[in-house]
Amino acid sequence: MTSDIPHPVKDIWVFKTNLRLQSDIRRIEPILNSQSAIVRWNVDQEDTDNVLRVESYSIPPQEVIHLVKQAGYFCEELPD
Amino acid sequence: MRIRDENKAQAIRQKAIEIVVQNGLDGLSMQKLAKAAGVSPATIYIYYKDKEDLILQLGIEMSYKMLETSLKDFDPDMNFEEGLKRQWLNRAEFYVKCPMEVLFIEQIRYSPLYERVTESIKKGFGEVMGKFVRGAIARKELVPLPFEVYWSLAFAPLYQLIKFHSHGKSYVNPEFSMNEETMNLALKLVLKALRP
Repeated sequence: MTSDIPHPVKDIWVFKTNLRLQSDIRRIEPILNSQSAIVRWNVDQEDTDNVLRVESYSIPPQEVIHLVKQAGYFCEELPD
Repeated sequence: MRIRDENKAQAIRQKAIEIVVQNGLDGLSMQKLAKAAGVSPATIYIYYKDKEDLILQLGIEMSYKMLETSLKDFDPDMNFEEGLKRQWLNRAEFYVKCPMEVLFIEQIRYSPLYERVTESIKKGFGEVMGKFVRGAIARKELVPLPFEVYWSLAFAPLYQLIKFHSHGKSYVNPEFSMNEETMNLALKLVLKALRP
């Protein structure tokens, strides 16, 4: 019975960044894409906070912040 | 882990509609919406990928609602007079009962997003209405016409009456409200025009 298998819970993390331009996004693209724990991500370029949204099954938010900062950008979790 | 909260989700939807209706698509930002809905911007991103996703999802949701109302008690095999009357009543009901939803759809109608909204609903609705029209033509209850001419005759008079109704006035009368009598008067003439 498939219902007995626990369903993995998907986390959505939201970050304030300075990924303003398409070129900024292109620079972090290979980094985030290479993380198998990240299911989907996008940057809302219309938003003043350049919000980075990450859907994942197991990556902690600190790890995302670390990856983005390593690429030379600002990144902090948006508070609830 | 962030938890979904149906009350917050509802507040976000409601305020997004209000902002778009009042200020247009350009007047909507996640920050402004968060403030109006009493949630943090982060919360909005739990539900929506970005602004475009938000508008798209709201548009699809509302179009489905409109569609559902419009097809209530309607059967594509109905004779033309009965079927068109049902369509008029259903459409008028939606426009009068859900004015915010209607205004929201009006706001996005001419944006590039709208095509993606209609894409998801066009097929089912088109099939039902297509069957209705083809049946009526085959039974000689309806004169065959190019789509645009048919639609303009069959529905535009209703939408103009609705417009007068929602303004609460017309060019000559300071007060106007549509009732079934007014609607039937227009419908009778529309049916007369569309009869072969």
